[in-house]
Formats: sequence, C-alpha cells, structure tokens
Amino acid sequence: MPREGPFQVDGKEEKKECGKAYDYDFFVIGIGSGGVRAARMAASYGAKVAAAELPFNPVSSETEGGVGGTCVLRGCVPKKILMYGSAFSAEMQEARGFGWGIPEDIQCNWEHLLKEKTREITRLNAVYKKLLTNVKTFEGRASLLDKHTVQVEDVSSGEKQSVTSKYVLVATGARAVFIDIPGKEYGITSDEALSLAELPKKAVVIGGGYIAVEFAGIWSGLGLEVDLIYRQPHPLRGFDMEMRETVSRNLKNRGIRLHGDTNPTKIEKLGHERYVVHTDKGDKIETGVVLFATGRLPKTHGLGLDKLGVELGKKGEVIVDEYSKSSVDNIYAVGDVTNRIALTPVALMEGHAVAKTLFNNEPTPGDHRNVASAVFCQPPLSVVGLSEDEAVEKCENEVLVFTSTFNPMKYTISGRQEKALMKLIVDEKTDKILGAGMVGPDAAEIIQGIAIAIKAGATKKHFDTTIGIHPSTAEEFVTMRTPTRRHPPKHERNKDDAQK
Amino acid sequence: MEAVCSTPCVGQLHFALSRPLTKSPTFGPSVLILRNPCQLAARQQSWGASPKAALSSAHSSFSSPLPVPFQFVAPARKTRSAKLPALPAVRASTEDGQQFDYDLFTIGAGSGGVRASRFASQYGAKVAVCELPFSTKASDDKGGVGGTCVLRGCVPKKLLVYGSHFADYFEDSRGFGWSFPGGEPEVDWSHLIEKKNKELDRLNNAYKTTLKNAKVDLIEGKGTIVDRHTVDVDGKRFKVKNILIATGGRIFVPPIPGAEHVITSDDALDLTSVPSKIAIVGGGYIALEFAGIFNSAGAEVDIFVRGDKLLRGFDDEVREFLAEQLQAQGIRIHFGAKPVEIEKRDEDQLTLKTEQGDTWQGSHVMFATGRRPNIKGLGLEEAGVDVDDKTAIKVDEYSRTSVDNIWAVGDVTDRINLTPVALMEGMAFAKTAFQDEPTKPDHTNVPSAVFTNPPIGTVGLTEAEAVEQYGDVDVFTSTFRPMKSTISGNPVRTFVKILVDAATDKVIGLHMCGEDGPEIMQGFAVAVRMGVTKKQMDSTVGIHPTSAEELVTMRTPTRQIRKEEAQNGKGEKEMAAAAT
Repeated sequence: MPREGPFQVDGKEEKKECGKAYDYDFFVIGIGSGGVRAARMAASYGAKVAAAELPFNPVSSETEGGVGGTCVLRGCVPKKILMYGSAFSAEMQEARGFGWGIPEDIQCNWEHLLKEKTREITRLNAVYKKLLTNVKTFEGRASLLDKHTVQVEDVSSGEKQSVTSKYVLVATGARAVFIDIPGKEYGITSDEALSLAELPKKAVVIGGGYIAVEFAGIWSGLGLEVDLIYRQPHPLRGFDMEMRETVSRNLKNRGIRLHGDTNPTKIEKLGHERYVVHTDKGDKIETGVVLFATGRLPKTHGLGLDKLGVELGKKGEVIVDEYSKSSVDNIYAVGDVTNRIALTPVALMEGHAVAKTLFNNEPTPGDHRNVASAVFCQPPLSVVGLSEDEAVEKCENEVLVFTSTFNPMKYTISGRQEKALMKLIVDEKTDKILGAGMVGPDAAEIIQGIAIAIKAGATKKHFDTTIGIHPSTAEEFVTMRTPTRRHPPKHERNKDDAQK
Repeated sequence: MEAVCSTPCVGQLHFALSRPLTKSPTFGPSVLILRNPCQLAARQQSWGASPKAALSSAHSSFSSPLPVPFQFVAPARKTRSAKLPALPAVRASTEDGQQFDYDLFTIGAGSGGVRASRFASQYGAKVAVCELPFSTKASDDKGGVGGTCVLRGCVPKKLLVYGSHFADYFEDSRGFGWSFPGGEPEVDWSHLIEKKNKELDRLNNAYKTTLKNAKVDLIEGKGTIVDRHTVDVDGKRFKVKNILIATGGRIFVPPIPGAEHVITSDDALDLTSVPSKIAIVGGGYIALEFAGIFNSAGAEVDIFVRGDKLLRGFDDEVREFLAEQLQAQGIRIHFGAKPVEIEKRDEDQLTLKTEQGDTWQGSHVMFATGRRPNIKGLGLEEAGVDVDDKTAIKVDEYSRTSVDNIWAVGDVTDRINLTPVALMEGMAFAKTAFQDEPTKPDHTNVPSAVFTNPPIGTVGLTEAEAVEQYGDVDVFTSTFRPMKSTISGNPVRTFVKILVDAATDKVIGLHMCGEDGPEIMQGFAVAVRMGVTKKQMDSTVGIHPTSAEELVTMRTPTRQIRKEEAQNGKGEKEMAAAAT
C-alpha cells in the first residue's frame, strides 16, 4: 500500500512530477560519510537511489576521491591509525617508569605503518561499496546540467552519461587549501601527509586547527622534530581558552616547538626535501616537509550549482535550511560542503535526516546542538556544549565553573609531568550543565557518555549523585564539588563592563 | 543586616558556625545567610548529635551561648572576626551530665571511615579515628590509614594493571611497525613493586594529612567497643557519643589442607618477581584482574572456578565474552573445579588437587576466594550490635546498626563493596548524624568496573535482572574489533550491550567489555542515573572515531524479549543484528 503524504515512494510506480518521469528518486553526488548514509537510508525507505564518486586514491584531487570519503580515506580513520602508531613512543617512555627495560634504539618502520594504513582504508573502501548494494553507483565526476539532470563524466575516457533524478543531494565534502605565500607550492596538505613515501627528520606544520595539532603529535611521536606555526596565541581557536592553554602546554611538554602569534612569510627550497620556512618573527626554520593545515573549503567548484541558482556562501558552501535544503527546492546538501559543523557524525545525522524527510514522510531537521567533538592531539581533547567564554556570553544567570587539574594515576609511576584538565560549566539558577570538556588520556572516550547526559538535559545534581567508577580518570567528572570560579549573572556582568 | 533566603547557602551557614569556632581568625564565607532567625536554633540541633536526640544538648555544645548579634549577621570578609569574643576550641557534647571525649569515634581509617570522619568534623563534631599500623599485608594487628582501596586494593592493583599492560602495547606496537633491535623489553618487577610501595606511602601520608587538616584525631591501634559509649584502643579508653564501624573486609581463604602455602591478593601485590606459573582459584573480579596482570607480565596462568561461568553477578553475556577473551590470550580456565588440597614438594613447586581428581603443578597458587566483613575482636556482641549470618554488620538505610548510636559503613556492612559506595555511605552518615540532614545512601544504578584485560564497565541491570523486573526488554548488542586492533592484530574484541525497558524506552542496563570500558561507562552512568531513554541516546551525535560512539549508534535491537511470548514458550524474538 502506498504511503500517504507528499513524498510517495512506492518504488514500483513511475516517478512523476508535472507529467515527467525521472530515472531516480534520489541522486547523491559524493559517496562520503553523509552521502553514504543518506543513500542507504533513502534506499531502505524504498526510494530508487543512485550515487556518484570519483575513482579511489588516498590523495584527493579534481579527478580522484573514492567511496568512503574524507573521513575513511583521508581523515578520521587514517589519522587515528597514525595517531595510535605514533603514541607508542610515549607509551614506551612511560613503560620505563614502570620498570620496563627498553633499549633506546626502538624505531618505527614508517613504510610498514603506511602499508598497514593503506591496507585498512582499502578494506574500508570495499566495505562501503558493499553497503551500497541497493544503490546504483557511478564512478566519475558528476555535475548538474539542470536541476533534475546529473551528468557523470568518466575521468579517464572522458565519456559522459546523463541521468535524471527527482531529488539531488550534494555531499561532495571539502578540500584542504593553502594560504597564499611565496613558495606555497613546496608545501603539502594533510592528504599527502597521510601518505608520505618517506618521513623526513624535521617537519613544519602551519596552522593552529585540529588537523595541525594532530599531525604535530603524530610526527613528534614518530621521532620527527616538529615546529608548529600559528596565528593565534594558542592553537585550536573556537575551543575553550583554558583547554587551549592546556593543549599548548602539553604540545610543548612533549617536545613540539610552538610558534604562536606567528605568520609564515615564505618558503624557500634548499634542495631535495630541504626547505626553509620564514616567519614574520624573523625565524628561519629548516625542515624536510611543510604541512599546510590552513583550513578546508567546500567542494562546489565545477558542480554547476551557480548556474542553477543554488545559493552559495562566501567560502563556496551550499547555503541550506534546517532540513538541508538549498535555495533550489529539489537540491539538498549535507556534510562539509555546507560548512556547518564539519564532522563525520554530523554529516551522518544530516544525511539520515534528509532521507527521513524526503522518503519516509518524516520531516526531520538536523539537530546541531550539543554536538560533542574530539581532537586527537596527544593527549586528546574532547568537548561538548558551550565553552566558558560562550557560556558567559550566552547565559543569563550566574555561571559556575568547576575544574579539576590532576595528575592521572598512571603518571604517578611513569613520571610523566603532564596534568589532565576537566571542566564542567553550570547555569547556577537551573543547575543545568552548559558545557563539559577534558584534555587528558581517553578524553574522547570519556566525553561520549557525558555528551548523552548533557543532551538529555543533565544537571550538576545528576552528576553529583552519580557514583564514581574507581579508580578511573572519568570519575573526576562526578566528584567536582566546589566551583573554581563564578561569573555573575548577565545583568551584573554588563554593569561591571559599563563601569570599566 | 544581610539576611537572604537561599537554600543552597544553608551549608555555608553551617560552615560559618562550625569551622571558625575552632580557630577564630577566619570566618569563611563573607556573608552569613539565614533563611529565618529560627533556623539557627534548628541548625544547632545537629551539633554533635544524632538528628532525633538533641535539642537539649544543643547549647551545651559550647561553653558559652553564641553572642546574639552573631546569630544574624556575620562580619564581611574584610572585617574578619576581630570584633567577636574569643570562643573556646571545639568540645565534644555532653549527655545526661556525661562528658564525652568525642562526638564521633570511627574505627577504621579506610575510604568510608576517612570520608565520614572528615565531614563529621567539618559539620562541627569532635572526631577521632583509630587505625592499625601500616603494612601492605593486612592482619589482626596491621592495616594502615587509607584502607584496602589505597593500600591493598584499587590503587595498587590498577598500578600493576598499568605496569603489566605495557607488554600488550609492545605486542600491539609491532603491528604498527615498531621494532626493538636492541633487545626485547623486559620488566623489572621488583622495581615496579618498589615504586608502587613508594606511591602507597605517599598516599598513606596524604590521608593522614587530610585527617589532620580536617581536625580529626588519628589514634594508632586496634579499636574495640567496650560498651555503646566506650571505645578501647590498646588499653586507652575513650568516652564517645557515636561510634562508626568502618573496618572493611578481610580476605577469606577456605581451610583446605596446604592452605598455608597459597598467596592472597595482599601478597600478590607485593611479589618481587613475576610467578612463572600460577594457579588462581576463584572466578570473581580479584581473581580475574590478577590473571590479567600476571598473564600480561609473562606468567603461565590457570584459573580454577567452581561454577560454569566467571564473575557471578554480572551480565551472562559479558561473563561468557570475557572468558573467551581471556582464553584468546592464553589463560586456561578450569570450570567446575574445586581445589581440595595444596601440596608443597619443594621450594618452587606447588601441586594443586581438585575434587574432580585433576592436578596442577606450578610455582604459585593464589586464592581469591572472597572477602568477609572484618568484625573480629570488635566487641560487637558485648555492645549488642547485630550481625547477619554472613557476619556483616546489619544496618538500616541510614547505616545505623541495631544500637542507635553505633553506625557502620563500607565493606563491613557488605552492601556494595566498592570505594565510591563507602564514600557515599560515609558522607550520608555524616550528614545524617551531624548536619541534621537525614540522608540515605542510594544504592541503585551504581556503576562499576573490573580491570581485567579487556576491562569491564557496567551500570544498571543485567539482562536477567531486567527481564525479571521489567518483562518486556529490548536488547541491543554489538561485538567489534577496536580500530587499533585492525592494525595491531590483537585478537581481543569489544562487546557492548544496552538493555531498554520496551514500555518506556528507558535505558535500564549498560555493559561493556573492551578497552577503555571503565572510562567510557562513567558518563553513561550519569545518563542512566537521570533516566535517559534510548531515543535520547540515539539522538546524541557520536564522537568519531572512538569505541564509545558504538553505544550511540546501535539502532536495531538484537532481540526483543516479551513476557507474554516467554509464557507461551516462544522465548525471545531473534532479530538480525544491525548492519553496520
């Protein structure tokens, strides 16, 4: 029996709109996290679905990409694998503190690690392809000829074919960009950094975002000398300032040279894999590789969106409403290409919501509140909800800040001098938790459950009445009894500001 | 006069009343806040008295009544207490003309005892705590400030778990391309034990300092209850208003022939070298944690367990999963095996014989066969304190024993034997007895962890309990290989399980066996505590890539258990596992 409502999806019937039949109900451009989820769910709701993706290559370009997308092939997965690999050196250091005799000349065979990483992402690429059994997939570069017609061009033969679809989803993601300085052509992006044939002895990382600090940690763990250059006083702009300061301290403590408040001015080539990075502070840093982790931009170029009147933002992102619908009513967009919150699980959520909205008669807006995230610097950072500054800005009532800075138990024996930081931000009047964060071992694993509690509206009292799991790092979150500081209610804060 | 109505500040009032009296110069909070003038009198009831007892004794807590102005206005921080008349140091209460040495005398300075004593003192009571001299091995005349958790339990065990687990990291690291051309890593176990003991010393001292800072008198020696108001410590007698028994538990070894040759967890924490081959008798968490420690450190490990599963009391599926993981690492588990005799042939050779007729030979036999409440020589009978048939002290929901001024918290009451539970019980007791705030410790949804390899984190009901209590239960399970293992080749997998009350969608049980399980479970415990629904879990965005995100991405139930169908003999509906 056909479902009722505006989105009739009985696959056996011809899809018609104003008397016109389409080849597909749903065409997805880009088979990354968001695209796969939307395509799979749409198919499971009975829609006839097709999807297009560029051929597989670990390093992306105009003509190469691969099923799985950034997360699986050039992002979360490979970087976490390298993060694991690089973290062993810190573990071995700590093991010595526990009485393990480990000869000094331990080494990591980069070629082996790289091969293992490539094997794993190749496996995942195949897994993703298998997930799409109910979806017709095209390999090639897709673009829109009109709002219902998608053309897919085979990148090697140049052969073109066109299909029509009632709805189109743009899920093409984003790509790394360089800042414009002389010698930028000597630099690489995170794509290449994940696949370097050989590791040099020294690396310069330009940028202060999460990709920059993650690679700084990976390379440092693998034994490279690392210089990190960023414009802000601390890396990770947008995160809680106290967390950022802690991350700075940890990076430094683990041997990474930090150049804050610094801009690179040019890169000079000295010879084969020998470069000098100049900065506006007058530094000249010699290095074997220069990584530009200087931001990512939505990939909308060449899709033909502008011609169709799809509204794009300043960075080229597709402007969408809360249902992920663009300014053209049958064209939707999810994931990094919309430049909302550029995280895999957010793209999954958006993709799923679009499928529900269009094909399950269940209009579902994306929910971008209280999205938890993690940065896999070493040790990692993970947060959910508001930072302290945001809370002070947004909360009408008094804001209580609970913090705990402590030496994780493992370090009491291993001798590592590095404090973990935990933080809860509370609305004094409602007792609601506004934000939580942690820098320290297992932070990302620990915050996930905290995020559920906060999503469900947890109060500080809920935390206080929860029994700790002993001995764990996480138990610190339920044993913070006394606020470290208070920010007065908004009307008083404003008064103070006025007085100043 | 600054009098503001505000409930959260009641605690501050008390702080202002109790603490500064002991030493005049600092007056803590800048503003003394009272709900109404009567409150001061009402609050004073709690001074060193049980909630019901003591309006009559309220004023006698102080040698002179408080000056009237103080009742309503406290000096602002800047003015300090300079204008106030000097007050005498805190003194214990009197009752029926009897002067007590202490308002509270705590026997046992472990987790529960220290917490209760500290807070009782902070609430204004005069407090002493007695504890045996420090030794890593507990006995009738040895113990130590800090108690089991700090000296012989959670802390040293976790340090050894960390220490031994490095061996697994080294193995894992090879998969990631690491090698040791200069020779294989080797552990100097005695070095680790030495460092561990140094850390215990530090913690032992830290606890002593904590007590000192809290103005709790620490008395070293064995405390015995002479009568309900008298405690004897090695011949010295104290008249006390309330007694708190917090003596914890002691290891129990069944008296079989040769039992004198076995080691217990106390000894196992202090071995100076790794046993070459060890039999561990018992299937509880202590047995299994040590199995993991010694196995990772290179010992050959056999576990002998009486039942057909490990870890009684945990979710059945978790119990089976853990057994598989241990076996995958080369630990042999002998189910249905009851040791009947240990024989020592020569110095390094022990033989263990089971009722089933099997024999085992190796260097060490460890018994982790349970712990019993530590009540020996406490004088409970003389004081009229009831114990149950398992020798646990019987208490009501406020931790009060059958004698109304004698209380007990922690393992000696054998409720839930966990440090954080003892802390909660100790805290609730202090509030009940000394802050006029009767507080029942809440033993529901207590999360817990087992630091096996891989570890377990759990909160709420097991599947069997869930079905028993709720009838209709949706069960979500997932078994997966952690991302790290896809490269390292480590065979150990991760299992997660969510139990949902089908009628209300409430999450009633969560279980995880896998790396980081204990750390992961803490936040989930907050959510379960607040009554989170499965829908709320599903609407939470995952943190990628983590193991924990698996728990927010389990969409399809593995099975749906329905009471009616069970009665019709159909049991459960098996459903296809969720596709990834």
